[in-house]
Amino acid sequence: MTCQRCSREASVHLSETVDGQRRELHLCGPCARKAGLTPPDPPPNAALEAIVDHLIVQHVGELVGELAKTSCPLCGLKFMDFRTGGRLGCPNDYEAFATGLLPLLRTAHGASRHVGKIPRKRTPPSRSPRLRLRARLREAIAREDYELAATIRDQLRQEDADQ
Amino acid sequence: MNLDALTRTSGEWLRGTGPESDIVICSRIRLARNLADFPFTNRASDTEKTEIERICRATMDKAGLELDYQSVVNLDTLDRQLLVERQLISRELSTGEGPRGVAIGPRENVSVMVNEEDHLRIQVMNSGFSLADVWEQINILDDQIEEYLHYAFNPQLGYLTACPTNVGTGIRVGVMLHLPALANTKQIEKVFRALHKLNLAVRGLYGEGTQADGDFYQISNQQTLGKSERELIRNLSEVVPQIINYERQARQEWIGQRRQHLHDQVSRAYGVLKTAHTISSSETMHLLSSVRMGVNLGLIDDLEIRTVNELFIHTQPAHLQKIQGEPLEVDERNIARAGYIRRRLASDNQAAEERD
Repeated sequence: MTCQRCSREASVHLSETVDGQRRELHLCGPCARKAGLTPPDPPPNAALEAIVDHLIVQHVGELVGELAKTSCPLCGLKFMDFRTGGRLGCPNDYEAFATGLLPLLRTAHGASRHVGKIPRKRTPPSRSPRLRLRARLREAIAREDYELAATIRDQLRQEDADQ
Repeated sequence: MNLDALTRTSGEWLRGTGPESDIVICSRIRLARNLADFPFTNRASDTEKTEIERICRATMDKAGLELDYQSVVNLDTLDRQLLVERQLISRELSTGEGPRGVAIGPRENVSVMVNEEDHLRIQVMNSGFSLADVWEQINILDDQIEEYLHYAFNPQLGYLTACPTNVGTGIRVGVMLHLPALANTKQIEKVFRALHKLNLAVRGLYGEGTQADGDFYQISNQQTLGKSERELIRNLSEVVPQIINYERQARQEWIGQRRQHLHDQVSRAYGVLKTAHTISSSETMHLLSSVRMGVNLGLIDDLEIRTVNELFIHTQPAHLQKIQGEPLEVDERNIARAGYIRRRLASDNQAAEERD
């Protein structure tokens, strides 16, 4: 169907009933704009990356991009995995995701500093050699490097025996 | 521990004694703890979970704790359900995956779950309103376990847990209250709103997402970070007496204004329980709630409160099936439940007569 104002192909079709009389209007994009009838926007650029970034901003709010992609070097959990699943992967996550977690803790508890009981033995998780060794063991198994995996396993067993 | 024996006994927390035990069924505290050298349970491999289980069991042995360990993997569905009904394990532990279990104290007031959401969930539960005693016990138990373990702890954030809602003290302080009069007059809604403002959570008898069957409500703290264990316990300890007072007032108003009606409701509930030949779980809870209040108000004088407390638990599906010694469909359970209640009430009445 051609535009009623020029000879281009019509892309806007309107129909209305005025005083019982039905009127139809067929216009091309430029003529519709001139008439004050804006044609629909072209479809948005559906690049997956942009959609994902948009979702991240929506879900993580102020914590854009970098943090969402951050992962814990010891358990491999991504901050986004935590946001969707609600569970952290290992004690070291509290350090790895500190920037993202502290605001959440303030909202949930109204505080971000522990008060109360303190255990006698304290090793920060990031310096727990065995948490690190276990992370390397998991990596080795995932890579199917069974020789390395066996070495690490022996090392862990030895340490257990020494304890 | 022979799980079948559980159906012939009852937990210490059900004995219906202790401060304010007409309204407070029990006081409970649990601590969430994790081993520093392992990923949290949800991210641990089965090999790692086996290792965690081994370390935790060895620790409890070394600490000389008189606890009996049950591997949940080796239990059938009915036994798992029995432990849930008994408040000794969570639904999450019952339906979870991989190596996991629970260590239970002889009087059932201590249970230590292994490989639940956190590596260790230590729980102590006493009859009546006794949070200070419970804290004293669990604090010692926690120290005994820590003696042989390395807990995941960070000086700024405290005890580290799989879910940040538990981080810090890792403590959940709770009391289970029986509030039939507040529920009846709908004043309970007001109480809920006030508790919500104080950052306290309210749940039913069997935890999150369950209905407050039998007019039981569990009230617990939500905040775990930024306040000490003692402060959190004090917060709850200050709120609970107020709720107890409201409930007592509501009962007195009820009995003052409509004594005959209340007495009638209680007696009819008791009558149905003593004579029914088939009864659903939900009707049982509802009627037992009236009877429990009737005993506490002196409207029923031939029944022990302990028996009523036990009936709430022993008439749950898994308990009934264990008592009958066979799996039962819903209809069969309703018949078995009515029979069990009739027998228990008759023997309690007889004991009361012999005392008189």
